[in-house]
Amino acid sequence: MNFLSPWFLFGAAAVAGPILFHLIRRSARQRTSFSSIMFLRPTPPRAVRRSKLEHILLLLLRCLCLLLLAFGFARPFFARDILPPPASKQERRIVLLVDTSASMRRPGLWEKARTAVDEYLDRASPSDQIALVTFDTQTRNLVTFADWSSWPEGQRASMARQRLAAISPGWMGTHLGLALTGAAEQFHENSAGLREIVLVTDLQEGAKLDGLQGYQWPTGTRVFVRAVTSKKQSNAGLEILEQPTGVAGVDNDIHVRVSNSSDSQKEKFRLGWSGSNERMEIYVTPGQTRTFTAPKLPASMISNAPPAKIAGFALELSGDDLDYDNVSYYVVPEIQHVSIFCAGLGSADDSSQMFYYLQRAFPSTPRWQVQFSPELTEQTSFAIVATNLDPQQLSALRHLMESGKSALLVLDNSYAAATLVNLLGLSDARLTESDGEFALLGSIDFQHPIFKPFDDPRFSDFSHIHFWKHRRWEIPPAVQAHVLAKFDDDSPALFQVDMGKGHLLVLTSSWSPADSQLAVSSKFPPLLQTMLDWSGASAPVQYQFHTGDAIPALASANQQVIWSKPSTDKPTSLPAATPFTDTDVPGIYKASWNGQERLFAVNIPLEESRTAPISQDELVRLGVPLGFESNQAAAVVRAQQQHLKDTELENRQKLWRWLIVAALGVTLGEIVLGGWLARRVAAAGAT
Amino acid sequence: MDPKALMAIRNLELRARVVVEGFWSGLHRSPYHGFSVEFTEYRPYSPGEDTRYLDWRLYARSDRFYLKKFEDETNLRCHLLVDHSRSMSYGSLAYTKSDYARTLAATLAWFLHEQGDAVGLFSFDERVRDYLPARHRHGHLRQLMLALERKTEGRTTNLTEPLRRVAELARKRGLIVLISDLLAPLDELERHLARLTAAGHELVVFQVLDPNELAFNFENAMLFQDVETQRDVYVDPGAARASYQRRLREHCESLEVICRKLGFPFHRAVTDRPLDQALLDFLRSRARRGKMVRRRLQRMST
Repeated sequence: MNFLSPWFLFGAAAVAGPILFHLIRRSARQRTSFSSIMFLRPTPPRAVRRSKLEHILLLLLRCLCLLLLAFGFARPFFARDILPPPASKQERRIVLLVDTSASMRRPGLWEKARTAVDEYLDRASPSDQIALVTFDTQTRNLVTFADWSSWPEGQRASMARQRLAAISPGWMGTHLGLALTGAAEQFHENSAGLREIVLVTDLQEGAKLDGLQGYQWPTGTRVFVRAVTSKKQSNAGLEILEQPTGVAGVDNDIHVRVSNSSDSQKEKFRLGWSGSNERMEIYVTPGQTRTFTAPKLPASMISNAPPAKIAGFALELSGDDLDYDNVSYYVVPEIQHVSIFCAGLGSADDSSQMFYYLQRAFPSTPRWQVQFSPELTEQTSFAIVATNLDPQQLSALRHLMESGKSALLVLDNSYAAATLVNLLGLSDARLTESDGEFALLGSIDFQHPIFKPFDDPRFSDFSHIHFWKHRRWEIPPAVQAHVLAKFDDDSPALFQVDMGKGHLLVLTSSWSPADSQLAVSSKFPPLLQTMLDWSGASAPVQYQFHTGDAIPALASANQQVIWSKPSTDKPTSLPAATPFTDTDVPGIYKASWNGQERLFAVNIPLEESRTAPISQDELVRLGVPLGFESNQAAAVVRAQQQHLKDTELENRQKLWRWLIVAALGVTLGEIVLGGWLARRVAAAGAT
Repeated sequence: MDPKALMAIRNLELRARVVVEGFWSGLHRSPYHGFSVEFTEYRPYSPGEDTRYLDWRLYARSDRFYLKKFEDETNLRCHLLVDHSRSMSYGSLAYTKSDYARTLAATLAWFLHEQGDAVGLFSFDERVRDYLPARHRHGHLRQLMLALERKTEGRTTNLTEPLRRVAELARKRGLIVLISDLLAPLDELERHLARLTAAGHELVVFQVLDPNELAFNFENAMLFQDVETQRDVYVDPGAARASYQRRLREHCESLEVICRKLGFPFHRAVTDRPLDQALLDFLRSRARRGKMVRRRLQRMST
């Protein structure tokens, strides 16, 4: 029998009370009231044997009551299946999971990690199977179970050591959750034997733990954490925030986020551009992250950087003890130029014309500049046509679409059918004017990328836009058109026809006030914007990346792209449609294609600067089945688990209730017996 | 009648009536021949006095208020002195000494009232708690019974102060019946009783005792707590019984000596004795007293 609150058993010592009282009662005197004691003289008491207890049964009942109460409060329970029996010596499958993230670059950590791995490799018995896996944001198998099994028994450890010696910590972030679950997945195929994951890591607080909570661990898996720690050092890191501006970066503020580790001893740091002597003092208290405005880029650096528009710079942080994360690279974003070919849209000053509204829907911003051109050129990103084009323009427009760009054909009158016929290569197309008072959009394909942003009940109401006029056209079967929106008379309002690599969008009405209320609707600018984005004319370019991120394919290039990494002089050639994933080193990356160049900045994730170790309790909280060897934390956690199980068993059995009921019964018996004895004594005293 | 059965009657007045009605044979002859409505003197009226006795004719003549004073209407003026001290609350039977004493007092009051005598009451512990002047009026007996039934919170028995107060209040000669356990030091008792007899009062003393007080029939050694002083004394009854009884006997003998010396009867009313016996004792003593008075008057006439 076990007890959940064994300290209440000390209450059993209270039985000394009744025993003492029963002994004292021997010397106590019975008292009776008498009218007057003036005739009485005190009599010396007769000697009695003190060792003899009176009313033994009463005493036993009282002691029993106290004992039952003490036992009841101690919450006894019968231990059954509390913990699984200790594992016998049997085959183990061990995954050695070694952290190679950027935070492991701290002095001495990697050596300690290798030493820890060596210890495990040395302790491995011949029956053990070991896999060696490194992880940062991804996991990489250095030694698989199959490798281990295939090696000669005496050389397994040394061969695994050699493979580990060939690598060193990189510059990536830490995705501990992914690494642990990935390691556990390796057990799913192997059912027999013990399953152990030995995690060799610095357990930094910046590690991502996503995916651990709720993960179904394979049965019998235990995770042993070998935390490697360095002596306490102050560390801070920085990260330049993405700049929305495309202007050279001189006249605009650059914001930088600085994070100071919670175990840091310092709070005063300096910020400055690499190559410049100017430094700005900043203060960040330990455990906090603050955002500052970075110092201005010196004009000399701007002018010296050829060409200025695509220059890359490095912002340095100083003042902490560790410098692996003290540089953040920055690329001045390019201004994006969007050229839109416009034909037949009317005057820019006439509010009854479409162009009046179009130029207001595409204002120039710091990120991009929109140019409306009457000529189709190589730089044309998008075309909007509302008139009959001459054959030369038609040919150029068709060529534009076939090269992968898109155009919007606005059928603002029945005569526009000629353009439609010419573009689609039809023999004839008969447009008829609508005859009703007005038409509304009846059905919209919200799954299409153009309307996808409106696929929300808050934005999906197009019913307030009245179309006074529209042109009906029955799309012939020969035209492979995808209708994006229909009017309530079931005639197409907007449809898409694929033209080579590009697309032709056809709107059977227009946004001029004579045709519809579309231009004055709040949905007009976003609708045009989504068209532009969908066509690829205005896709935003990202310049800031973290190590391990993939730089997206350069959509505007259809040739080979030459990538230059900061760590090597040997460029890599990749097709333009292939994302560049080899971003394993922080620095400025350069992509060159077709005479163009673009720079990208790749930095260490700011989380890698949060080097304070987290408690292993956090892993326990997330449900990681931690196993412990022989340290104090193991004892504490084991005791907590034992206590939880004890509590559950005790709650199930609830023996204390029966003990309390028994105590009440004994108390009742004691009352009855005590009352009977008291009456007997009183009667004896009266006589 | 068995005292147990008598005491089972809750109403005190009824208890008294039960005792007396079986006892009419003991009527005494009063030595006093009072004259009812016999005028004695005038006395100036003071505000607050009973206006029934104002002489309106004299007022008409003199324009002053005078009260007419009359001789007593009754033959005997009797005051009952009932002890309510805490020692009277002791009782080894189903009732206490105080219950017995109240019933005895009520019985005497009823008896005397039926004879046409005036009866008054002093209830006391260490001092006089209740005082009812001796009267024979309609409702007076009822008032007296209520006063007897009233519970008192007395503590010690101290006869000195009550007897001094009785001497002050009962100025007219009469009969004073002292009902108490008299378990108190007798140092001053004789002097105060002598003062009452000197004032012309007749005294009758009833000492009410519990049978267990006389026999001391306790078995086990135990602490005896004085109900008045709350003092404890450890007594082994087997060893102390003889000395206790001796001391009590000496105390009672001293009382009897005092009473005999002062010439008034002393009766011991043990609470297990029927009350009519106590009444009989009282009447016998009254009869003896009547004979003595008659003999004395004859001697004086010859």
